Amino acid sequence: MSATDIMIKIKDLHKSYGELEVLKGIDLDIAAKEVVVIIGPSGCGKSTLLRCINYLEEFQHGTITVDGVPLSGEANINEIRREVGMVFQRFNLFPHMTVLENLTLAPVKVRGISKKEAEMTAMFYLEKVGMAAKANEYPDMLSGGQQQRVAIARALCMKPKALLFDEPTSALDPEMVNEVLDVMKGLAKEGMTMAVVTHEMGFAREVGDRVIFLYGGKILEQGTPEEVFDHPKEERTQAFLSKIL
Amino acid sequence: MNFSLDIMTSAFPLLLAGAAITIEISALSVFLGLIIGCFVGIARLGSLRLLRLLANFYVDFIRGTPLLVQIFLVYFALPGIIGQRVDPFFAAISACSINSGAYIAEIFRAGIQSIDKGQMEAGRSLGMTWTQTMRYIIVPQAFKRIIPPLGNEFIAMLKDSSLVSVIGFEELTRRGQLIIARTYASFEIWLAVAVIYLIMTFAVARLVAALERRYNKNERD
Repeated sequence: MSATDIMIKIKDLHKSYGELEVLKGIDLDIAAKEVVVIIGPSGCGKSTLLRCINYLEEFQHGTITVDGVPLSGEANINEIRREVGMVFQRFNLFPHMTVLENLTLAPVKVRGISKKEAEMTAMFYLEKVGMAAKANEYPDMLSGGQQQRVAIARALCMKPKALLFDEPTSALDPEMVNEVLDVMKGLAKEGMTMAVVTHEMGFAREVGDRVIFLYGGKILEQGTPEEVFDHPKEERTQAFLSKIL
Repeated sequence: MNFSLDIMTSAFPLLLAGAAITIEISALSVFLGLIIGCFVGIARLGSLRLLRLLANFYVDFIRGTPLLVQIFLVYFALPGIIGQRVDPFFAAISACSINSGAYIAEIFRAGIQSIDKGQMEAGRSLGMTWTQTMRYIIVPQAFKRIIPPLGNEFIAMLKDSSLVSVIGFEELTRRGQLIIARTYASFEIWLAVAVIYLIMTFAVARLVAALERRYNKNERD
């Protein structure tokens, strides 16, 4: 992979909460259009890693570069954030706004496009996630799966270069997991660069270009889904997979 | 003791006019306090250290000193500094709104802190600045939640505004004092004054409860 193909470049990333070091030197390149699935036991730093890319967490050491632009503290975080979308475990839709308003707020305020144009874009993405009929509903009226699809559409409205998913289906009832995963599969097919923290191993196997196994704040093993799932090299990976598969 | 209903009824129009002034200064003070409180409450949560220190000092000072002393400071001490007499209306409004602002700042702070932090993260992750996220996402949601405590603040201000009578500002309590000075009918007049305060505070309490119900209904729609 050539240097220009790399969308997100993470080098020697360290992150501590006080005394506790959560990330102990992560090196990770995510290519454009690549889908990277991050797995690992709870507390291994999966979510923290994603949140660092979006600078929702400050890190102590290392560099993160998004599409060639290094992340350098408060100065350009807003620039980075508008290029990298984030989908949260708990959806985090704005409850005081309709679905449509949820989608148009940031494009209008941050990108500075007209309300009309933002609404057209919003309807396009709502259509894509199958939620166009609910454009004028409030989030409270929607099921968890529907809320998460709206949250994905909201992130897409900013036309991000990459999307980060932080356990997007963990807060959902089982029957709603697939509707969200289907939307994500569709995005992967269209060539969206994605980093996904998930426990959905079926999804990881089907959609992931690469699987990263994070353990104790480090990348312990990585490879194609076949390599990691079928022929894990590390004992810890084997132990983890045997518990969840 | 003889009780005169006549004195009471004949004093009523004058007292009601005073009550109107009480409502006026309370409403104006809480409104101005709301503006002050919004900014101060946010400043207390913000990342600018100097602003935060100033906001903390303001809230601590106002909450740690009696309103009566604050009124005296504005009415009697301020002229010494600016070399000019202060109008009682200006003194009453500024003392009351500065006082109210400190309490409302705390109400705002609690309201903002009660909003799930995922809301701020969602706003920031979409590229909005801290200020934009506060303005469009956090504060509107916090506002709904602080309606009941704001109602309480307004009720407290209706009662506390009686303190501005000491600088001769003619609101309800001062009107009562003046009528008593003329008629010596302490019991009748103070009873009437108390009843009028009670009616006002009760009405506001009901209004706030209704407002709260309406907002809650909207959220479910």
